[in-house]
Amino acid sequence: MPRSWILVPVSKPEQIEQASRSGADAIVLDLVELIAENDKRAGRANVQAAIRTAKAGAAQVFVQIDPQSLDADLNACVWPEPDGIVMSRVESPEQIAHADAALSRLEHERGVAPGTLKIVAAVETARGNHAAYDIARASPRVRALTLGRADLVMDLRAEPSHEIHLMPYLMQRLIIIARAAGVAPIGAWWRAPDRGLLATPENTYEAAQRGRAIGFKGAMCLRANQVEPLNRAFARDASPRLNG
Amino acid sequence: MPVVTPRFIDHAWRRGCDFIVIDLEDSVPQHLKAHARSLVKDAIPKVSKGGAEAFTRINHDSVLADLEAIVWPGLKRVKYPKTEHAEEVRLLDSIITRLERERGIPPGTIEIDPGIETALGTANIFEIAGASPRVREFGASTGGYDYSRDLGVEMFVDFDQFVYAKGEAELAARTLGLGVRGAPFVANTTGSVSDGGRALLQAEAARQCGFHLGGGGLNPAVVESHNQGLTPGQDDVRDAHWVLEQHRRLIGTGETWIEVEGRVIDRYEAARARDTLEWAALCAERDRQKAEAVARTRAEMAKQDPAALK
Repeated sequence: MPRSWILVPVSKPEQIEQASRSGADAIVLDLVELIAENDKRAGRANVQAAIRTAKAGAAQVFVQIDPQSLDADLNACVWPEPDGIVMSRVESPEQIAHADAALSRLEHERGVAPGTLKIVAAVETARGNHAAYDIARASPRVRALTLGRADLVMDLRAEPSHEIHLMPYLMQRLIIIARAAGVAPIGAWWRAPDRGLLATPENTYEAAQRGRAIGFKGAMCLRANQVEPLNRAFARDASPRLNG
Repeated sequence: MPVVTPRFIDHAWRRGCDFIVIDLEDSVPQHLKAHARSLVKDAIPKVSKGGAEAFTRINHDSVLADLEAIVWPGLKRVKYPKTEHAEEVRLLDSIITRLERERGIPPGTIEIDPGIETALGTANIFEIAGASPRVREFGASTGGYDYSRDLGVEMFVDFDQFVYAKGEAELAARTLGLGVRGAPFVANTTGSVSDGGRALLQAEAARQCGFHLGGGGLNPAVVESHNQGLTPGQDDVRDAHWVLEQHRRLIGTGETWIEVEGRVIDRYEAARARDTLEWAALCAERDRQKAEAVARTRAEMAKQDPAALK
């Protein structure tokens, strides 16, 4: 399982190249969060070139897609094949079943071995979290669960203790569900004022250490300089002790 | 407040509350329960005179008698303590539905607030929160005396001892699309219920987490703190305008976020800023309504008995 997942907009070739040199274990080409609504159609046309650029390095390549435009997004991304897809804002097992069927059809049409493409399910809403156990078991393609940007999607803000409201509960719940379903829990334990985007390498390392301590296996990030701290914190031989 | 203490009920309208809970439960001694029931019908309009909404907390074990005594025009919400099963909420719903019909109250207007104060209630929380369309607001509680007794959890500690229980309540409320009552952790190591400073911190924490609803208090000394803490201040409003101004710079650039002065500006921050401005406007509107209600009440009192205003 990748230790570090870096999310880059599918429309920014220079950022994709930078990501492929960053040492990230996985590159997630984003069609959902980091791309303006009006650019999504053009973004889909860029996916094939983006996959080629990203695959030039050693990293696994995923494409983050939107269940609201599932078929268009999947059609754009199964050739040359990525290692899998990240499904944002998953809310029901039916959405996973639908994606599974669409991926099987595309694999068949495009000569990719059946069952090759993995699914990482991002549960970012209350409904998605409520249904997370069923979501995790909806297809053998599901290999990981993450809260993605749940803090933003659910509008969870900092408590006086600097914990992000509700996140300690949601993180532990997700980790138990992921382990029960036999999939990997992906995430880091961020504390205010960090929320991923601007976190320094030091704070990223601490968030990853805390995340590892409660059971996460690898985390997502948005900047190239956050990759190394994630790799270090989630390395198999890293000390399990929490530093501060 | 205990319905059997006339000086509390008579003066409640002057306190500036958004809602007032007329209590039949823990603050009323067992031998006064029947007497307490007979007072609620008159107490509802009394406590509402300053623009507050009237709630009543009933007893877990005398639902029928309590509801017969309290479901009258003007009642906004029934608080039901120690809910453990969805069936209890459905029973309340059916009795309230009958009483609304018999007493000329618009059907479906009286809300139910099922309190979760036991482990069993927590285990059944999702079914409880979804048991009736009368449950419109749901979530965690910041207090929890009964809860801590049931679970054997200490009350006054400096860390969040209810992470799981509060999380379950809030996830249920959010999943079902109900009004969410959140309870950000603020340490209370003293156990005081009349500490206005601590109440202000609690209310400010709730506002900063984006919540619009307070859990209420037990002492009039904390009302102003709750109102003040839950209302966006001038700095919040100014900051929200600044965020929206920065966010407009993104239009047409194809970018989804920018960094300004060390802060991320994106659609999520913009949504929070819009929420702050809407909430500030709603608070101002509510204050205006309450001020009007108080003025109306004072004018009526002056007409009837000029000496009573002293």
